[in-house]
Amino acid sequence: MTAVATTPKRRLAGVKQALRPLPWIGPAVALIVAIVLWPVVVMVKTSFTNIASDGFSTGGAGWKNYHSLLQEPALGGVVVRTLLWVALVVGVTMVIALALAQLFNTRFPGRRIARSALIAPWAASVMVTALVFRWALDPNSGAINVVLHAFGIVHQMGSHQADWLGSPGTAMICMMGVAVFVSLPFSTYALLAGLQGIPDEVHEAARVDGAGRWRSYLSVTLPLLRPSLLVATLINIINVFNSFPIIWEMTRGGPGYSTSTSTTMMFILKQSWVGESAALSVANFVLVVIIALAFLRVTTKDGGLG
Amino acid sequence: MEAALTAAAAAIAVGGCGSSSSGGNGPVTLKLVAADYGTGPKNTSQKYWQSIATAFHRANPKITVKVTTINWNNFDNQVQTMVQNHQFPDITEGDYFSQYAQQGLLYPASQVLSNTGNLLPVFKSQGSYNNTQYGMPFTTSTRTLFYNKKLFAQAHISGPPTTWAQVQADAAKIKALGKIGFGLPLGPEEAQAEALLWFLGDGGGYMKGSNWTINSPQNAAALTFLKGMVNAGDTEPNPATKNRTTLWEQFAAGKIGMINGSPALLPIIKSGGSLGPKDWGSVPIAGKTGALNSTLGVCDNVAAFKQNGHQAAIKKFLDFAYQDKYQLQFVKEYQLLPATTSASNTLKSSPTYGSFFKALPKSVQYPSAPAWAQVKTQIQNQLGTALSGNPSKVLSSIQQVAQKS
Repeated sequence: MTAVATTPKRRLAGVKQALRPLPWIGPAVALIVAIVLWPVVVMVKTSFTNIASDGFSTGGAGWKNYHSLLQEPALGGVVVRTLLWVALVVGVTMVIALALAQLFNTRFPGRRIARSALIAPWAASVMVTALVFRWALDPNSGAINVVLHAFGIVHQMGSHQADWLGSPGTAMICMMGVAVFVSLPFSTYALLAGLQGIPDEVHEAARVDGAGRWRSYLSVTLPLLRPSLLVATLINIINVFNSFPIIWEMTRGGPGYSTSTSTTMMFILKQSWVGESAALSVANFVLVVIIALAFLRVTTKDGGLG
Repeated sequence: MEAALTAAAAAIAVGGCGSSSSGGNGPVTLKLVAADYGTGPKNTSQKYWQSIATAFHRANPKITVKVTTINWNNFDNQVQTMVQNHQFPDITEGDYFSQYAQQGLLYPASQVLSNTGNLLPVFKSQGSYNNTQYGMPFTTSTRTLFYNKKLFAQAHISGPPTTWAQVQADAAKIKALGKIGFGLPLGPEEAQAEALLWFLGDGGGYMKGSNWTINSPQNAAALTFLKGMVNAGDTEPNPATKNRTTLWEQFAAGKIGMINGSPALLPIIKSGGSLGPKDWGSVPIAGKTGALNSTLGVCDNVAAFKQNGHQAAIKKFLDFAYQDKYQLQFVKEYQLLPATTSASNTLKSSPTYGSFFKALPKSVQYPSAPAWAQVKTQIQNQLGTALSGNPSKVLSSIQQVAQKS
């Protein structure tokens, strides 16, 4: 009897307890609902709506938008390109960042200047960086081509060979280079922070046990660096996947969709087919959420994020 | 003559002020979104429109016109985004979207311009939907083939080409000089114009009557011919990624033998400084078996959006902006052709513009079907891929979009 009587009371107290932090976290929650969750709701709704290219809804569309998205002949190529884009850009970035972080963790004259120089690509707007590279790669007068021409690598200015952004293959490689360039600062600093958190004692212990430099790096440094490596990789994957300005400014994803990833394709589709573009946005969103969840799981299991 | 016109227009404007009806008597702000015809900060259209807006505001203190100009490469996309987000401008000047008329978003021309009869009649049908005119031409141009006489002389070519075969032969000779034979801008900026000039060359085009003919065998043949030129290296590399503005500048720098252009190329040649007045020529567009006797006539339109309800204010402003002096100022600034009969009459005998005017009445226009905007976007994004792929396949996929929308 008594147990039954106390339960609602206790439950009420529990609710009260749970609501207590609300005044403090309320504004933040409201902000997230308004500017993160609500657009997601609208996006999903849009993907199931028939929307004319002038933005007027003409009723529900069911799965039609998703169906026509799957029928896009360019979709297969775009998916493959997106996977390659993310894998190569993130992979190369992390390898270079590991080396750079190691370098910046050792003392050398001018280290402070070198460290702050690395911030430059991070501080500059990605769009500006992409534009600078586009101009530098101009087939007729681009700075990079002028240098390559002087070294005899580019035989003739304005030729097919000098038109790096003109053919899809070389254009993708150039854009990946720019993506690595702008991703490096963050990755390096994340890894540098990780390196600085490793106490000297463990390296000393490894040395006493007779481990060489390489061995000590593989068996001591890398495992201890794992949490920052995971976090940096996760954030990079999401950033690179969503990367829009580099591709847009350098090739507009074209000709056709031949240098598009799913992010730029979404934007090109939007011009004519709002619903279909929203369907692709939903697919992109789901993918990013899955990646994020997978990594969160791995990292929290590790206790790495704590 | 001009002073009298200005005075008359000012009188209309002042008269209109007394009977202000839109939005009561409160101040009105009109949002004007225009394409930028300039090549840099020196001659940006922002200046042109702002000078009109300032003069207009002086005459009509209650109406402020907020001018936004957008680079041609982004114009369509940004206007479409504004409309999709229901942030409607009051007036646009640039590309015209007939589907907005179809959707009832636009004022008919007669409600926002007093003297619609003064607009060049050739372009009336292109701006019309169901026999009502919505798009009002503001500036026009016709296309001709420009060629570099210096390079032609160096390559020992006797005269400008009139047939495709001659174009290719001449381009090959110019290429041998280490220059670009033919400049082919099939990138997204204006692929729809360049492609049509070639389609017309063997009797193709976008529409016959009310049917889309994008995948016609003539169009495919034209693209196949171009593909051959590209593969032979007679054009610049990768034409699918090259835009008109860039190539026109290269022509002006003397690096390109031939290119299809409009009068807007003239100021670029002048400011380029490498080609003197006698170093280049302009002739009718080459066709498969002979020069075209009808060319592409392009007009950029003004459209007025209903959603903000500023009809009376828009009308006052457009009456003001369509004065001959502003039409002629635009001609002087960008070397395009005027879009009103009265302004054209003052230029008919001009040696620079005379030939372009003669071509106007028999010019071919873009389709006026509401699906055109959609089709044009597809042409801009996809058509260039025909040069490295299968022309018929690319054309068929664009045709499908045309029939679907």
